[in-house]
Amino acid sequence: MGIGFGFGVTFGAETCVKVAMILPAEIEAVMRSLTLLLPALAPSWRFFPSVAPSPRIEFRAPQATGPEEAEWREFRPAPRKVSVGAMLKRMFWNPGRNETLFLVTCAERLLSGEIEFARREIASRIARQIPAPPAGREHAPFLQFRLVLVSGHGSDFRSDVAYMSPVFVPADLAAA
Amino acid sequence: MSLDSAIRMTEVLVALAFIQQSLEHLRGGRDERRLYLPRLLACLPLLLGFAAPWACLALLAIGVMILRRFHGPYNGGSDRMSLLVLCCLTLALFMPVERWRAVAFAYLAAQLTLSYFVSGWVKIVNPDWRSGRALRDVFSFSAYPVGENLRGWADYPGLLRVMCWAVMGFELLFPLCLITRPTLIAGLAIAATFHFANACLFGLNRFFWIWLTAYPSLLWFQERLFPLA
Repeated sequence: MGIGFGFGVTFGAETCVKVAMILPAEIEAVMRSLTLLLPALAPSWRFFPSVAPSPRIEFRAPQATGPEEAEWREFRPAPRKVSVGAMLKRMFWNPGRNETLFLVTCAERLLSGEIEFARREIASRIARQIPAPPAGREHAPFLQFRLVLVSGHGSDFRSDVAYMSPVFVPADLAAA
Repeated sequence: MSLDSAIRMTEVLVALAFIQQSLEHLRGGRDERRLYLPRLLACLPLLLGFAAPWACLALLAIGVMILRRFHGPYNGGSDRMSLLVLCCLTLALFMPVERWRAVAFAYLAAQLTLSYFVSGWVKIVNPDWRSGRALRDVFSFSAYPVGENLRGWADYPGLLRVMCWAVMGFELLFPLCLITRPTLIAGLAIAATFHFANACLFGLNRFFWIWLTAYPSLLWFQERLFPLA
C-alpha cells in the first residue's frame, strides 16, 4: 500500500522505512554543512591576534632495514629568494603557495585533535609530490612525516617534534 | 552608485576572483577538479550577466560542498570572505523587494568595515603587536614569508614596530573613512595596498582579489549613509 502526496509521487512502505533510516544521516549532513557555513556568514575577523609556534612538515622514506637510516627533509621549504617579478606573477597564479598554506592549516588542525582528516591530507600530498628518485632507483616503498614546531626569541630558535605519523605506503594515497 | 550598479560590479568581480581560485585547483587531485571545474563553469554566466541568481545559487551549493571536502575553509579567511560575499550577493539577487536587497548588500558593507576594525582591535589589545614583536615573529620563524630572504626583516625591530602601528592605526580608523566619498576612496586604496603587500610578502593573493569584490557594496552603502558627503 502506498502513500500519495498529491503531486504524482507515491512511496511504498519499504521506501518509507528506507527514508526513515537515512533521514538522521541526511539531517546530520545538513547540520554539519550549516556549522561549516555559519562562521562565513558572521566571521570573527580575528586575523593574526598572536603568533604561535609555527608548524613545519618534515618527511622521510624509511627503508625495510629500519626507519633510523632515513633522513628527515622539510616538505616544500620556502625558496631562498623570491623576485619581485615572481611575486607579481603569484598575484594571478599561486596554487603551490596556497596549498602550502592549506598544509599549515592541516598541521595546526592535526595538533588540535582533528587527526584523521589532517593526517590523510598531509600524507596524500607528500605521496604525490615527493621528488622523483634518481635514475635507476625505485620510488620509496614507505613514507612517514612529522610536525616540528618552530618558535623563538630574537636569534634564539627552538624546534620541537610535536607529532610523528605512522609509516604509510605512498602508492595507496598518491591517486587520491 | 545605484544598488543595481553595485550588484552588477560585485557579480563581475566575484566571477573573476572565483575563476582565479578555481583555476588554481584544477592542477590538484581528482576530487578537487570534480568540485572546481563546475565552479569555474558556473562563474561564466555570472561574469556575462546571464541567469546571475541561479549561477550564484549553484556557486553557493558548490561552496558548501567544498567546505565539506576540506572540513572547513581551504584558504582560511579568504574562503570565508568568498562565501560571505556570495551569500549576500545571492540574497540581494533573489530578494523580491528593493528594501530587502539593500539590507543584504548593506550587511556585506558592514562586515567589510568590521573586517578591518575588529582585526585592528584584536591586535591593539595584544602587547606583542604594540611592541612590534608580533611582526618580528612572523618574519623570523612563522611559515608565512614567501622566501627565506624576507626573514632578514626581523632584524629591523624599529621598522616592524612602525609597521605594526601603521596596520593597527589604519584598521581601527577605517570606519571613519565612511564620512566622505574622497576619504572612503582613499581608505579603500590604502586597504587594497595593504592586501597587495600581504599577497607579495606572504603569498595571500586570494585575500587581495576577494576583498576587492566587497568594495562596491561599501561605495554604495556610503552614499546611502551620507548622501551629501
